[in-house]
Amino acid sequence: MLQRLIFEKIEQRILVGTLAFLAMMVLVGWIAINEGGRMAAFEQQFLARSIERGASLFAANCSSCHGLDSRGLGGRAPALNSPYLFGHDYFADIRREEQTLNSEKINAATSPERVVEIDARLAELENERQARLAQFGGLENIPGDYDPLAPSRLSNLGYAGSLRSYILTTLIHGRPNSSQYWDNPMVAWGQLAGGPMRMDQLEDLTNYILNYDKGDAWTVEDAVAVRQYPITVVDIAQAGPPRETIAPPDTDPTTIDLDAAVAELGNFQGNPQTGQTLYNGALGCAGCHLNAIVAPPLEGTWTRVVETRAPATGLSPEAYAVHSILHPNEYVAPGAPYIEQANYAPAMPANFAGRLTYQELADLLAFLQTHDEPVPG
Amino acid sequence: MSVLPFPSFLDDVKEKGFKKAVFEGINEVVERATAGMNVQDIREALRGEAPSRKPNPRLQPHADGFWLHMRPSYFHKSVTGIYPEFRLGWLSTYFVVFETITGIFLMVWYTPSPEVAYANMISIMSAVPLGQFMRDLHRLGAEAMVLIVTLHMLRTFFTASYKKPRQFTWFTGVILLGLTLFLSFSGYLLPWDQLALWAVTIGASMVEAAPPEVVGTNLNLLLRGGPEIGANGLLRFYLLHVLLVPALLFVFTGVHYYKVVVHGHSLPPAEENIGEDTAKRVPLDKRVYFIPDILTSEIMWIGITTLILVILCTWFFHAPLENHADPQSTPLGTTAPWYFLWVQGALKLGDKVFWGIIFPTIALGFLAVMPYLDTTPSRRWAHRRTALTVAFLMISATTVLSYMGLAEFGVPLSADVEILHEMTMEPAHNHMGKLLPIPFDQLAVGMYSTREIDAEAGQEAAAIAALNAEIAENGHMQLITNALSTASANFSGTPSFTLVPSDADELHKALEFFNERMHHDADELVNAWGGVIILEQQADLKRAMAFMIWNEVVFDNGRVAYGTDGEPILRLDENGQPVTRIAMDYVYIHRDAQYFAAPGS
Repeated sequence: MLQRLIFEKIEQRILVGTLAFLAMMVLVGWIAINEGGRMAAFEQQFLARSIERGASLFAANCSSCHGLDSRGLGGRAPALNSPYLFGHDYFADIRREEQTLNSEKINAATSPERVVEIDARLAELENERQARLAQFGGLENIPGDYDPLAPSRLSNLGYAGSLRSYILTTLIHGRPNSSQYWDNPMVAWGQLAGGPMRMDQLEDLTNYILNYDKGDAWTVEDAVAVRQYPITVVDIAQAGPPRETIAPPDTDPTTIDLDAAVAELGNFQGNPQTGQTLYNGALGCAGCHLNAIVAPPLEGTWTRVVETRAPATGLSPEAYAVHSILHPNEYVAPGAPYIEQANYAPAMPANFAGRLTYQELADLLAFLQTHDEPVPG
Repeated sequence: MSVLPFPSFLDDVKEKGFKKAVFEGINEVVERATAGMNVQDIREALRGEAPSRKPNPRLQPHADGFWLHMRPSYFHKSVTGIYPEFRLGWLSTYFVVFETITGIFLMVWYTPSPEVAYANMISIMSAVPLGQFMRDLHRLGAEAMVLIVTLHMLRTFFTASYKKPRQFTWFTGVILLGLTLFLSFSGYLLPWDQLALWAVTIGASMVEAAPPEVVGTNLNLLLRGGPEIGANGLLRFYLLHVLLVPALLFVFTGVHYYKVVVHGHSLPPAEENIGEDTAKRVPLDKRVYFIPDILTSEIMWIGITTLILVILCTWFFHAPLENHADPQSTPLGTTAPWYFLWVQGALKLGDKVFWGIIFPTIALGFLAVMPYLDTTPSRRWAHRRTALTVAFLMISATTVLSYMGLAEFGVPLSADVEILHEMTMEPAHNHMGKLLPIPFDQLAVGMYSTREIDAEAGQEAAAIAALNAEIAENGHMQLITNALSTASANFSGTPSFTLVPSDADELHKALEFFNERMHHDADELVNAWGGVIILEQQADLKRAMAFMIWNEVVFDNGRVAYGTDGEPILRLDENGQPVTRIAMDYVYIHRDAQYFAAPGS
């Protein structure tokens, strides 16, 4: 028995073999039919386990600043478990109704009686809004900037991507400049940016943070339970006290009292190093004054002013320099190559009075006086 | 005169009529494709009739065709059944083909790079239709192939088929065994999960031990592509797995089978006189022809074997995938793949170089040259007492060493680490922490203690109340709250233990297990009690923490020291009081995580 072919008759073998292949195909077909459900279940399960890993990572790495419950720590870092991050709008229904009413109101076909009705309803809605806003008691005591009427952190930042990408990129790169408004800046966590975590770990963390989302179920209690809201960063260029320039921006140079400016400048002590920074950087002087074909070069400027230009105009050298900077086209040195050109037009900007403070003008002059190296020959 | 300006099929149609011309054309094509059998011949063969024309057309495909040129045209009747071959050699070949096909499917979805390999696995499981199925088949096939090839070797040994003239066939067979083991092992790394990384790290560090040092270091560097397994190591293992080793395997499979055919399948020992080899002299009445009998049998077995694998992968087997590989975190109880456990066990005996390198090399080398050492002519068991004794000793040694290779054996872990690990471990090696498979709804927020398990029936509530009073008194509560804050647990409110809710059966069972384990190690964990604290982290995410508190004992050479009264000696602090310790471990559990207790765990 053991030493013979199993299924000795060929018909048996053909039958069994055919049945085996058929059964296999039925089984694989059955698996294939169920694949959609199985893959969805796997994805759900994988997301769940990713959230679990993210929770572990968060407890170990993030909770010391963002809090164990992710509600932020005062002065350390803002809340992630907050309606603000997820952009929950507590006033969405009011907003929607107002929009509908307003578009109906401006429609020419709407009767005057209806407009009166609409106005009444709008006033009601405004009352409702104020009443709802009053429920956010204690919000003013929570540090950071959260206004329930401007509820989306992403919109307020002008961030056009998804919340997932916002969280993930923040994790990768950290907040390199956040030492300007927090005690400790958020460091880069992604290996991509020199941090310790792999991409899959950051994905786990992102999934965990996104899992705080309550959708429509965010409550006012959630908003006031937060310990620290994000700090809205002001544009640094517009920050600080207004600059006291020599004249208001965009003043016509011919209207400036240059003699008074020269007199005022006498009160300021210039710093040639600051002047150099201005010359080469913000003011852009170096862009033109390096080539005698385009503009008088930097080298020998002060010598020329003292020896030639100031005597020719009857001004003191300092006054001549001030005139030339604040009202560049008042005097033009004759014979320079750029003037000889057929298509010559005054090229130096005439807006420096509106851009410079007296201190900066003094710095600039100090720089010019100390960098007077005549071109050899 | 042709119909067209040149001879064509239309001439046949004109001469014989359309139907006849077409049939004859088909017949001719079939005869060419099969290298000798026309439609009538095939029909006869499948009906089990004798061939109706001479010379026998069923021998032609062997003589003229490529596909059967290496297959014998007939077999000895005595080697076509279960005994003596158990189809093991055939099955090994079957798995070579099976693994190639499923492997090519997986290759389409896989990139050998640490950045994306694991994500590829996830996508194979979650976004590729039949992807998980193919992966299961490939993995199951790999494990089965190792088993089948090993059994094939054992069978060859027990029927003494390695003896003259088949010594070289055996030798190539040992090479094939080695290639099979390495193929299976190199495939381990590719998913880039924790199991992969650590199993291969163990394997590669054995290579590192090869003497002299300059050889070991450089072999290790060559294999890993760096001091640690990273992008280069993964790429190398991938190329070995899909290119070099399969190429060698195909070549040696060819050599091996060629030798089998040249010498014939060895007959059962009882059918031959001692020292005789009659495999190639098959009497006419003992011949079983390849076409049709063996061919139909093999096709049938392909169907049956594949069906069995498909059934297993549908309901019983799923290839494991653990967490992403993390060189920074070594999982507890990492083991080599089961077929290398004997090496891992040997390593526990002592010197890394001897037991990790020299011993396995000698063992495999001995296997390879065995036919040249054992030159006795007889294949009868009665005449092979020495060989069989050595074989049984080697099998026993391998079994014992494999057992010693298990994580459970001889790894000196302190009992508290081990018990908490058993409560909270991530799924690995078909095990997981007892807290994980508890249904989410039974993870009721609160604090539960093993004192409840120890209490007599009906006295549970009283026991818990007594416990709450006791720990407030003796400072254990303070220990627990300190441990909670060390573990960054978000715990608020007044901590106090309560009874496990009556509908939380599984939680109760986990506590029972916890209690039993602590009692089991009562000598090391004196006065131990523990508990489970469940906190809500997010709406659908809970944090389950297991902790235990015990009195530390004195250890002597890694073992508990006992006093003259036979009781363990307690460690005392500077005030002469027993030292109380607390240990805590935790796991997060999400509602959708779907942990199920592994069968048999």
